[in-house]
Amino acid sequence: MKQIILIFMIVFTSQVSLAQVGTVKGNVSDAEGLPLPMTNIIVKGETAGTTTDIDGNFSIQVEKGKTLIFSYVGFETQEVVLGNESTINVQLKETSSNTLSEVVVTSLGIKKTRKSLTYSAQEIKGVDLTGVKDANVINTIAGKIAGVAVTKSAGGTGGSTKVVIRGNSSITNNQPLYVIDGVPLLNISSGQPNLTFGDINGGNRDGGDAVGLLNPDDYEGMTVLKGASAAALYGSQGANGVILLTSKKSKEGVSKLVATSTTTFESAAFLPKFQNEYVAVAGGDETWGAKEDSNDHVKDFFKTGNTNITSLSFSTGTEKASTNLSYANTSSSGIIEGNDLNKNNFGIRQSGKFFNNKLNVSVNANYVSQSINNRPVSAYYFNPLTGVYLMPRGNDFDYYASNFEIFDPARNMMVQNWMTNRDIMQNPYWAINRNASVDKNQFFTGIFALDYKVNNWLSLVSRYNYNRIESSFDKKLYASTQGTLSHINGRYINVNWLSTQSYGDFLANINSNINENLSLTANIGASFVKSLGNNATILDSGISSGLVYANWFALGNFVNNAGNYQRLGLQKEVQSVFAAATLGYKNYLYLDITGRNDWSSTLVNTDKLSFFYPSVGVTGLISEMTKMPDWINYGKVRASYAQVGNDISSFVTSPTSTIVGGQIIPPIVGPRPGESLKPELKSEYEIGTEWRMFNNKLGFEISYYNSETKNQYIQVPAPATNPYGYLNYGFNAASIKNKGVEIVLTGKIIKNDKFNWDTTINYSQNKNTVSKIPAELGGRVILTDPGVNNYRYSLIEGEAFGQIEGVNIKRDAQGRVMLNADGTIQKTGFEVVGNANPNYMLGFRNAFNYGSFFANVLIDTRVGGEVMSLTEATNDEFGVSKVTGDARNAGGVVLDAVYPDGTAYAGKYPAESYYKQTGGRAGATGEYVYDATNVSLRELSIGYTLDSKKLPFFQSASLSLIARNLFFIYKNAPFDPNISLSTGEGLQGVDVYGMPSTKSIGLNLNITF
Amino acid sequence: MILNKLKTFAIYISLFAAVGCTEDFESINTNPYGTTDALLEQDFNNIKSLFTPMFNNVLVLDPAWRYQVQQGLQGDVWSGYMSTPTPFRGGTNNTTYDLVDGWNGFAWGAGYGDVMANALKIEQRAKGKYNQFYALSLILKVEAMHRITDTYGPCVYSKFGTTDPVIEYDSQAEVYAKMFEELDLAVADLTTRVNANEASTFTGTDISSYNGDYAKWVKFANSLRLRLAMHIVKIDPTLAKTQAEKAMNHPLGVITTNADLFKVISPTFTNPIAIISGAWEDIRMSSDMESIMGGYNDPRLAVFFDTSVQFPGEYKGVRTGIEIAAKSDHSNFSPIGAIVRSKEIVWMTAAEVYFLRAEGALRGWNMGGTAKVLYETGVTKSFEQLAVAGTGSYIADNVKTAKAYVDPNFPVNNSPALNNVTVAWDEAATNEVKLQKIITQKWIAGFPEGQEAWTEYRRTGYPKLMPVLKNTSGGLINSNLGVRRVNFVQSEKDGNPGGVATGVTKLGGADNGGTRLWWDTTGPNF
Repeated sequence: MKQIILIFMIVFTSQVSLAQVGTVKGNVSDAEGLPLPMTNIIVKGETAGTTTDIDGNFSIQVEKGKTLIFSYVGFETQEVVLGNESTINVQLKETSSNTLSEVVVTSLGIKKTRKSLTYSAQEIKGVDLTGVKDANVINTIAGKIAGVAVTKSAGGTGGSTKVVIRGNSSITNNQPLYVIDGVPLLNISSGQPNLTFGDINGGNRDGGDAVGLLNPDDYEGMTVLKGASAAALYGSQGANGVILLTSKKSKEGVSKLVATSTTTFESAAFLPKFQNEYVAVAGGDETWGAKEDSNDHVKDFFKTGNTNITSLSFSTGTEKASTNLSYANTSSSGIIEGNDLNKNNFGIRQSGKFFNNKLNVSVNANYVSQSINNRPVSAYYFNPLTGVYLMPRGNDFDYYASNFEIFDPARNMMVQNWMTNRDIMQNPYWAINRNASVDKNQFFTGIFALDYKVNNWLSLVSRYNYNRIESSFDKKLYASTQGTLSHINGRYINVNWLSTQSYGDFLANINSNINENLSLTANIGASFVKSLGNNATILDSGISSGLVYANWFALGNFVNNAGNYQRLGLQKEVQSVFAAATLGYKNYLYLDITGRNDWSSTLVNTDKLSFFYPSVGVTGLISEMTKMPDWINYGKVRASYAQVGNDISSFVTSPTSTIVGGQIIPPIVGPRPGESLKPELKSEYEIGTEWRMFNNKLGFEISYYNSETKNQYIQVPAPATNPYGYLNYGFNAASIKNKGVEIVLTGKIIKNDKFNWDTTINYSQNKNTVSKIPAELGGRVILTDPGVNNYRYSLIEGEAFGQIEGVNIKRDAQGRVMLNADGTIQKTGFEVVGNANPNYMLGFRNAFNYGSFFANVLIDTRVGGEVMSLTEATNDEFGVSKVTGDARNAGGVVLDAVYPDGTAYAGKYPAESYYKQTGGRAGATGEYVYDATNVSLRELSIGYTLDSKKLPFFQSASLSLIARNLFFIYKNAPFDPNISLSTGEGLQGVDVYGMPSTKSIGLNLNITF
Repeated sequence: MILNKLKTFAIYISLFAAVGCTEDFESINTNPYGTTDALLEQDFNNIKSLFTPMFNNVLVLDPAWRYQVQQGLQGDVWSGYMSTPTPFRGGTNNTTYDLVDGWNGFAWGAGYGDVMANALKIEQRAKGKYNQFYALSLILKVEAMHRITDTYGPCVYSKFGTTDPVIEYDSQAEVYAKMFEELDLAVADLTTRVNANEASTFTGTDISSYNGDYAKWVKFANSLRLRLAMHIVKIDPTLAKTQAEKAMNHPLGVITTNADLFKVISPTFTNPIAIISGAWEDIRMSSDMESIMGGYNDPRLAVFFDTSVQFPGEYKGVRTGIEIAAKSDHSNFSPIGAIVRSKEIVWMTAAEVYFLRAEGALRGWNMGGTAKVLYETGVTKSFEQLAVAGTGSYIADNVKTAKAYVDPNFPVNNSPALNNVTVAWDEAATNEVKLQKIITQKWIAGFPEGQEAWTEYRRTGYPKLMPVLKNTSGGLINSNLGVRRVNFVQSEKDGNPGGVATGVTKLGGADNGGTRLWWDTTGPNF
């Protein structure tokens, strides 16, 4: 109801500015509303004329009653007779080909024609970002861009997303740079887990990130700059590719209000399989007792989640000013009791023109506030799922659910009621209600931009941007929480993080035809970016120190200050100058050169404070150079080479001791003695070709890239014998090579008045090799330390990035299990058991239109790679999995085994003994490795667009049924392998009691007033 | 024309860059919550602050899990003091002789990262200028590092702090020689100050019960020398005697009263064993303790342990190295008692020093008393320290011996009594029996500090401990001999593999838990 009132308020207060006679201005776009730059406009019968700028805007002095002729190669020429209007917006219909005119947003927000690009840049248009909406817009990229691997976090709604473009190329950081309207976003997470056991300080939580907080409806599209050449202008930040987001802008003379509402229902998919035939021995906390039926309580634990996203956006534009306002609310309840999310997004964009329209001033501000109760955690600590899955069978789960606490007369308080005192499995309802947590995020971004058009070939742009992210985590552990996790009087953890970034740049854009055949576009500029990341104040009453009085969660109740401290994640400043030039010859041959020099504060105390990053590229439009058969509309070849960097972390070159609770802590990391640190350097060449044919009905683009990222920053535990007291040494060493192919195939399979069927196939494969790992590391860099568990995530000399290591059952040459003399099973040390990354990915999109009906289907395929499940391993060890029940029913495990003296093992191996030896987090984890290959129905939408002529006061309206991750067409692993416990570099390809993946189905309503 | 304009812009841009300033890069790249050495020089904090982590990590005080993997699941268990009811790692771990690298690196990490690194900094900042700090740091360093060498064997000692690509390990003989030398230096410096009645500058920084008293530190250093001397008595009896008598002959002598025993009084931390035993229920009284102290009906039991929840009024121990189906099988046996619910953590008792002297006297060294008197004084001091009555009758008891161990829940774990010595001194007994009595009483008096008890068990074989019933060492460690050492640590194998290679050579055997250390000979005690 409130929303409807709001809609009306906005509608009736909106104004459309009326005509003025004089100059006629306007915008020329294609049928889809995309601007057409360099459109020729002449006054009929006269020689006077003009062309549109890169945004499709024009301005011309003309008398009333005259006729303007709009013409553009590849589009039907249109004539417009002028009346009293001062503004005309023209949409040109495409003829045979529109390929030559497409404009793509590139680095720094610079717009370029697609034909002139010397590298691969792939776009997603607005409707594809919001058609099957996800609360995190980045999740909707999956399957839509060739060469981009998207892995969702197990943190549920509000979680972050791992995006890897063209394979992992860095040991320390593979996340792309996100850029909104030309300025970089500080996309920082307040934390990512990297412990297989779980974080004792509140659990393995995904701190979320900034890009995941954005309102998808604020953006009209996204461009992914995949390679080093495309990202070269970002220099030391460009090594992992760039994702550019472009916000929606209003059009002159158009006022509209768009309201969308999305409601989806989520349910747990792919739960582990449990046995219900055996119970635990009395008092036992593992289920290895008598045969006796028990209830399957796990299914009922999960509920149906619900997500509602409502968004309103209003835009209006006049000759001198334009306004966009938006608001969105996301409210979601998870599939686990007690988990919910609420997010509010506010956006405003205002621009105005001054000084004879030469100066354009715009301000854009977005504010997001998000609150999550009981954000799901993974691994063994603080996780309600371990208690649910592992509860010794034979106990009444419902009893413990409704009586998770009971009165303890000795303490005169309610205490946890559970059958075991085991740190990895508390009463799940105690974990939910008495270990409750609240995660909050607030994000502000504001951009102030000036664009001054000096003359017809030069414009000056300057921008200033400020990002501010505040995050907090608050967790209250009540007394009688298990003693490994909490003090006897309870524990209070309260952490606040602040991250800020200021960015400023100055850019001169030159656009000129040197002569008839030669054109030059050049950009010269300078920028600075100053960042502060995760400035944290940590309050923790701790486990040993504790609270003075039970269950009083306040700083003043802390026994001492031992667990309270401040920490800063990063602080740096990068100053840069850069220049780019594109030289065009006859509109069919282009040479592209860029250079950027960065001075970074992280490089103080090294040999070199500044680094230069160049790129060069060339492209030729074969279809324009030579006469091609008529059925070929567009043909292009391109090649490029670039070097970009990946900055080193703050503070590494200026190590200091820190202090916690009065205890001085030696520097976490310092440069390895005798060495000077430098940024990682990525060199990449790329060749590609793009073709469109049969009236643009078929198109394809093939790219091949080959990159090497050298000088990898490696951090190794310093020998405790080092004289500086550094805990780790940092130095540059290893190298990672990536090469791969990307193919994008587009087809308009059927196109007629009634029925349209468009299809896109995104295919990519990547192969990488890690090399030059220093000998003293034994050929291995460990990304996730195994701790006491048998999962290790490593980079190994000569092998692909991201090897999963585990322990296997020892087998002899004949494949028989080797037993010790006492009959126990022999195990190996750590061995490679899989790789976390896919060999190739295939996204298959289909869009259908039939009259007013439309349907979209996205099938996402990932082939190759492996995942390990410590969940399954632990369920087996505890005797709760279906496998262990079946084995007991069968009288044991069939095992082809042999004793050291050569005698074969007779009979079946006792199930309990087998699974206690091979199962568990520290067992033969190689037995719990699964092929990650999967084919999933990622997105599905079926909808109906209402006939606008029949609508009362709507301009348009559509209603659709939408579904995400509806089902797997093929899957081998016992859980969703597209989910990761961390969006950082560690904990990949493993599941440790992560929240089950969800499938969601719902409705999407979209109304434009 | 365009080129001209471009030139203008190039100049403009380079001006912008020139205006850009990189002078504050150093301060931007410095963690504002960190500290600089210059800042710490005020109040001599650059020296004094380095002592705190040393005090806190000889025995790790916090977090409790670090203590648990530094010593709680090593020496405390292998000494026969304590036992875990928890089937860590599916029931195969240190306690079943399957040595867990993921745990066993922490002792090394604390020894070097927290103690040696700070000792080196103190040496760099204080040596020659404030020698009292240097002297005190050497005593703490020897106290910490003899535990490291007695755990691993060869280790980095004299080469610590070099920037060589390969940091060579010293043999254990070299480490001991160096430690004696360092004690010489420390004792000489502090003695001069004591003789000059110099006021202590260590008061306030010293969180031990000595509160900066140089004379007490000298007594501790002498007592430490005596302990080290006894460790090497089988491999180098001459040096052992020389060092032991040197300790005794020093004018300030060794620790003789409970007022002088060495304990850390933490302003912040309770003994981590209290958490491990209390909230975590991860450590319990051992079956050996039940057998020996129970057999003697030792009144100190009530200080060391709480009675069992499952068997009210009884002290029930858990045997180490058994099959554990569920933690609840034994978690309700006896927890560790009042002795650990304290912020006072004892490193060396007065009783121990008397027992060391008793053994010395037994060996014919000049220890300022007969073995009998020193032995009985040792027992008396222990009772006095723990404020337990009944010393007289206890010392005179020549009847009670260790009792058989019964696991009421799992009889498979039962064991007959292994030790047959009584408490009362018997002048007519063999040296071997006398030694067994001395070591057994030292073993009791030293509780709960398991590292030294494990060392003395390895050296003397006393008290006799119940063998593990479950041995998952893969044949590397003998169930009757127990764990002789811990293999070299992973961080060294990763970061200093060349050094580890020198260590393995000097060890003279395979790098596993079954290989004996330098002083751990197979020869007889006498």
